[in-house]
Amino acid sequence: MENRDSMWALFQKRGVSRRSFLKTCAVVTGMLGLSPAMLPKVVAAAEKKTLPPVIWLHGHECTGCDEAFIRSQSPLASDVVLNMISLEYSDTLSASAGEAFEHHLKDLMKKYAGQYILAVEGGVPLADNGIHCMTGGRTFLAALKEAAAGAAAIIEYGSCAAWGGIQAARPNPTKSVSVSDVISGKPIVKVPGCPPIPEVMTAVVMHFALFGQLPPLDAQGRPKQFYGNRIHDTCYRRPFFDSGMFVEKFDDAGAKAGWCLYKVGCRGPVAYNSCGNMRWWNGLSYPIQSGAPCFACGSNNFWDNGPFFERLPDIPVPGTIADADKVGMVAAGAALVGVVAHGALSAMQKSKQAKQQDTDVRGPEA
Amino acid sequence: MSEGPVKEYYIYSPWLRIFHWVMAASVGVLFATGLYIGNPFFIGTQGVEPTFAVNKLMSMETIRYIHFAAAYILVAGFILRVYGFAVNRGDRLLPKFWTALYWQGVVEMLKHYLFLSADHRPYLRNSLARSAYLGVYVLLFLEAVTGFAMYFMVDPNGFGAKLFGPVNGLFGGEYTVHLVHHYVAWLLAIFVIVHVYLVIRADFMEREGEASSMFSGVKFFAHKPADIGDIADDSDKQTDYGTRHRQYPAQG
Ligand code: HEM
Ligand code: HEM
Ligand code: SF4
Ligand code: SF4
Repeated sequence: MENRDSMWALFQKRGVSRRSFLKTCAVVTGMLGLSPAMLPKVVAAAEKKTLPPVIWLHGHECTGCDEAFIRSQSPLASDVVLNMISLEYSDTLSASAGEAFEHHLKDLMKKYAGQYILAVEGGVPLADNGIHCMTGGRTFLAALKEAAAGAAAIIEYGSCAAWGGIQAARPNPTKSVSVSDVISGKPIVKVPGCPPIPEVMTAVVMHFALFGQLPPLDAQGRPKQFYGNRIHDTCYRRPFFDSGMFVEKFDDAGAKAGWCLYKVGCRGPVAYNSCGNMRWWNGLSYPIQSGAPCFACGSNNFWDNGPFFERLPDIPVPGTIADADKVGMVAAGAALVGVVAHGALSAMQKSKQAKQQDTDVRGPEA
Repeated sequence: MSEGPVKEYYIYSPWLRIFHWVMAASVGVLFATGLYIGNPFFIGTQGVEPTFAVNKLMSMETIRYIHFAAAYILVAGFILRVYGFAVNRGDRLLPKFWTALYWQGVVEMLKHYLFLSADHRPYLRNSLARSAYLGVYVLLFLEAVTGFAMYFMVDPNGFGAKLFGPVNGLFGGEYTVHLVHHYVAWLLAIFVIVHVYLVIRADFMEREGEASSMFSGVKFFAHKPADIGDIADDSDKQTDYGTRHRQYPAQG
């Protein structure tokens, strides 16, 4: 715990050259989504700023975000954990566990009160006094509130922490909510995704570590440089979309040729994330590249916006399977039939009336 | 029907009329291209690479371009509607929920459309029509707002996104915005069917020049319309309706 050094100090201790340090700073600048002109500032910060301690809590979730994070490629997850942040507490990555480890957490929170970054993974269940997620014998809600009180900033890592997550799907039996639904008065940043791109998480942590503040956020509280662009507007399959070349079924020729996945339910047109420009695993691939439509895993309520492989959901008309276009067609057809029938009745009424008037004027026809 | 002297009543300004047809045309185009965008298909051969297909007539890009162009025309055209509203009383035939006349009209027209009564009092525009048109403007407003919310997010830092982007948050996500846009399109389609029918029906049943009024701006009434107060202050004086009137000899 005494190893709270700056990045430069750490590099020196391990005998890494100044040249490598500068290279690393250049990489970090790019990673943070900053312009190259910011490089001197990054170097200055990396020389002076001590790395902030990070406490990483896990709530109502599947720990898939951890799985993604430990596969971070640039920088390597091991580098992040050991050299770039000082990850002081993570109940899934630590070798230790139990009483002693929980004790360590208590100490940390006291020692670094007001300084540490709190990364939260997982939603917060509120039903039945929060008993649906217990850690260390306490409800997660209690643990979270305690840890949040002394945090300098809070990162909601993954869609569960940011929006409530899969367990919040209708009817949300555990009343799972996001971290910011129960914590306020702290700088909070959402890094949603199911899971988020690990490099994005690293970048957000680094940004805070170097500049002491959160990166610029969008209206929904997500870092702009990573959640600013639509998947659809950064998609390498976009030319197929513009040309009207669509995969119709997952086993057709279009799918094989890599056409646009719009008609098999791709949510790219309404999803905001960095998959299109950063991709995953050091740019190796991302879902769309592997032929799977995006399902907007970083958006609120994506779990309720099914079916994922259709563009339009079914409209609950009992006993049928029909989307808006089918229901609309039938309704428009019914309206047409309706007006024709109404027209016929109107015409009959009018001619009856006309006869009536005739009779009134001339008397009944002999 | 006994025919009194039929008088001509000037109701709609040219601005409203021009806007109406701009709206009718652009909504038609928007609906057709919108349905295509929602469920696109490709006619003809396109090869395997997009190079061969892009910018052909039925390419997604072209159809989307037409959709957006029509959207801009519709929204720009609305300025005419606003101008008409400002300068001409006949362009302000909104539902007046606070008047007894409005509610009488609702009952009267419902009875009439359900064939419970053969006649209704003449109206410049009846209560149901007034409500329906207000409803359509609300639907069009929804379409424009949701449409531009999706449209401008191509450039999330641009001016348009600043203006309309928050709509996505308001609806709980852009996916919902896309659904609302799609569903409201169908509501508009159903309105148009009923609207066109009722216009033709009114023309046929009442012979007051309903359909032609959207071209000429005038309607013809044998009796004083019940809502004449909307275009003339002095509704008691038989001779002074609206800004223009002519008398025709009684027919028959
Ligand atoms: C060929 C088709 C159409 C015909 C013959 C037609 C005819 C008319 C007529 C005669 C009126 C005046 C109604 C009255 O006196 O109360 C009117 C008003 C109106 N129509 Fe249409 N129309 C057509 C298509 C459309 C379409 C496609 C729309 C748009 C969705 C539309 C929307 C409206 C609206 C909103 C008004 C009220 C205008 C106002 O006072 O602001 N119409 N139409
Ligand atoms: C007035 C301004 C309007 C704007 C700015 C607008 C814009 C848009 C945009 C951006 C899209 C999505 C296109 C894409 O994702 O590639 C869209 C789709 C669509 N639009 Fe509009 N639109 C407008 C009005 C209308 C109207 C009046 C109708 C119908 C009467 C309509 C019907 C549709 C339909 C059915 C879709 C497909 C929806 C989907 O499945 O995503 N639009 N429009
Ligand atoms: S695959 Fe999805 S994101 Fe890519 S162009 Fe098609 S619809 Fe857009
Ligand atoms: S492509 Fe879409 S669903 Fe897949 S990880 Fe990226 S944002 Fe999530």
